[in-house]
Amino acid sequence: MSAFLIRRLLRFVVVCIGVSVVTFSILHASGDPVSLIMPEAPEADRANLRLALGLSDPLPVQFVRFVSNAARGDFGNSFFHREPAFRLVVERMPTTLGLTCLAVALALAVALPVGIYSAVRRNSLGDHAATVVVFLGQSMPVFWIGIMLMLLFSVQWRLLPVSGWGTWSSMVLPAVTLGAFTTPLFMRIIRSSMLEVINLDYVRTARAKGVSEWLVICRHALRNAALPIVTVIGLQFGLLLGGAVLTETVFAVPGVGRLIVGAIRQLDFPIVQAGVFLLAIIIVSVNFLVDVLYVYLNPTVRLR
Amino acid sequence: MKRWLLGLTALTLVALVAPTGAGAQGKDTLTVALPSHAPTLDPHMHFERVGILVNINMFDSLLHRSAKLEFEPSLALSWKALNDTTWEFKLRKGVKFHDGSTMTVEDVKYSFDRVLEPGKEKKKSPQYGNVRAIKEAKVVDADTIQLVTDKPFPLLLERLVFFPIVPKKHIEKVGEEAFGSTAAVGTGPWKLVEWKRDQHIRLEAFDQHWRGKPSFKYLVFRAIPEVATSVAELKTGGVDIIRNVNADLLSDLKNHPQTRISTTPILRVHYISLDMRSAPFDKKAARQAANYAIDKQAVIEKMMAGLGRQVATVVQPPAFGFDSSVQPYPYDVKKAKQLLASAGYPNGVDITLHSSAVDWRPHFEALGQMLTEAGLRTTTKMWDPGPAWNKFFQAEGKATHGQYGSWGNYSVFDADAVLHPLYHTEPGGWIGKHYARVEGLDKLIDEARSSVDQPKRKRIYAEIQRMIREEAPSVFLFTQNDTLGISKKVAYEARPDEWLWLFAAKPVN
Repeated sequence: MSAFLIRRLLRFVVVCIGVSVVTFSILHASGDPVSLIMPEAPEADRANLRLALGLSDPLPVQFVRFVSNAARGDFGNSFFHREPAFRLVVERMPTTLGLTCLAVALALAVALPVGIYSAVRRNSLGDHAATVVVFLGQSMPVFWIGIMLMLLFSVQWRLLPVSGWGTWSSMVLPAVTLGAFTTPLFMRIIRSSMLEVINLDYVRTARAKGVSEWLVICRHALRNAALPIVTVIGLQFGLLLGGAVLTETVFAVPGVGRLIVGAIRQLDFPIVQAGVFLLAIIIVSVNFLVDVLYVYLNPTVRLR
Repeated sequence: MKRWLLGLTALTLVALVAPTGAGAQGKDTLTVALPSHAPTLDPHMHFERVGILVNINMFDSLLHRSAKLEFEPSLALSWKALNDTTWEFKLRKGVKFHDGSTMTVEDVKYSFDRVLEPGKEKKKSPQYGNVRAIKEAKVVDADTIQLVTDKPFPLLLERLVFFPIVPKKHIEKVGEEAFGSTAAVGTGPWKLVEWKRDQHIRLEAFDQHWRGKPSFKYLVFRAIPEVATSVAELKTGGVDIIRNVNADLLSDLKNHPQTRISTTPILRVHYISLDMRSAPFDKKAARQAANYAIDKQAVIEKMMAGLGRQVATVVQPPAFGFDSSVQPYPYDVKKAKQLLASAGYPNGVDITLHSSAVDWRPHFEALGQMLTEAGLRTTTKMWDPGPAWNKFFQAEGKATHGQYGSWGNYSVFDADAVLHPLYHTEPGGWIGKHYARVEGLDKLIDEARSSVDQPKRKRIYAEIQRMIREEAPSVFLFTQNDTLGISKKVAYEARPDEWLWLFAAKPVN
């Protein structure tokens, strides 16, 4: 176990370094934030600002400074907000994480029963109906679903607020929108991994013992089908954080995604670096959690 | 299966029982949707339209501009030019800041010094460039301040319409950062209650404001990035005013029972800047051909719902210096082809035009099609308005054939505010620096901007307009309107300077 942790930790450090090198180089290759901040100013004024923001030093010097500061959790002040970038990102993180977790929970709440049903009643009318829904769901982009739900529930029926964040009612549409984006994939994975195990000998044995169908499915089949499901949830988490960007924009949710996209537009390097870095940490942690869950779900997996 | 049904039922119930935020705001609240918030509430430390719109409702400047674009007294009761470089302002007495203190001449001086930072090499305020001509703010007595400029500065009054006066003692006490986020204090009609970044800025009427109380007790600026969302909010009463309504949404909002539109011509002028350094636009005849090739009226009528006006140059009709005797190029394809032939292209020529005006892509493509029909076979290339665009076009000024874009003068109603940034070869304007090469234009622009003799300036601008119409450094197109979507419960009209001066807004019963 400790060897596993050390290896993980090393990998974690490598990921962090990789992420910071990539974001740093892409950002600095992409242009001059000063000309965005002061589009009309004479060159002398721009040079002043560049000096103030530390952008006039050679790139390697900037990179070393960036890394040594970042190691201490200091990503510098946002060019745009003029406040510590890390603090701005951390402030928004609970909103985005909350939205993402809600979406995963919603997606599972729908995908689990429907996926299991499709597997158990394979080729039934219900199964085919579910497949159609899966295809439809996967073909609809997040922002479109979001706007359609908004038109239906908020403009037509006036049931929910159009946009915003804070009250429970305002969270429903964003969470459903983001959940709808990932539900079809969950459903498909649950169905296929259930199908793989449902006709295996041990399941038949369990049935032969006279165990109720409910128990057979939940305890025997599902538990063994869970590995691929957990893997996909882990992988989807990263994608969902990406999907949160669109959802946050459509529903005016003050999350990290909106902050980062705005920062990219304005070439606000510190925010982008802090944001991407933090998101990378979260994704790595989720994957770590998934690995640990493997052991719990399947004792034959050894953590090495 | 049952569990699934149960879950769905529960979700529906939650949705039904939960209090709906939609339309729940009271009659004493006015809510405005903006695409984003500015980085700070400090009116001197940003230069963003979305920030200015909030600031003007919290802070006053020395001068105010009426909806008819006339200067009105605000914190200054009167003003006069003592000579070419000295202006004197008499201050209003007994004006209160939101913290209860009384505004003094020291606060006015402090506000200017804060932006000008005399003696300092590095200037913090991005608005410094607007007022850099001011050399000194001189206190004469308790009610009088003089502004001394380094040379005659005809735009001074224009610039003072948005130059908020801030409280010296308060800022020194709470610090710059708190002043920009949690403790913004001005003399304006509304005072700050709460700012939740990227959510809302909530303001409350200031009961000691010198104009009296505004009609709405609360003023809220929500940040809603997506257009479809803000339209949905407007229709359901979640917001009362949305900005920049596009032509394709007009009929929708006009016909909706709860909304209406208000539209007015603004300063934003559209043009295609031609790269005069390279063929074919190094020839005057080719540039004129491009001007004859565009059916401006068709674009205005078919694509802008009629909300636009043809222009002869880039100088907009409401701006000082506009000369109505200079006429727009007529639409004449035959003439365009003749001119193109005389420029050496009897069989036409292939060109590529670039643009980063993503919202105007259909218009850009229509313009390209019109040019193609006249023999300037155009490929239109759209760019993301970000880093690449900045680098290749603005910073390096790569040789191309031309660029489609627009200019809004930062709401300064003066020909200088479009001519200098666009055509002067000084480093400021990238088109002037790289694209336009009009002999003698720099000198005329400089002459007009360094005089306070308005009739003389008018003559110079008339000459400039005749000159650039003839030389055609750009394809001159049209000005556009600004259109607001407004709830029928609110009486307010769009202003030509695109300001949201909400003291003028009233509830409709």
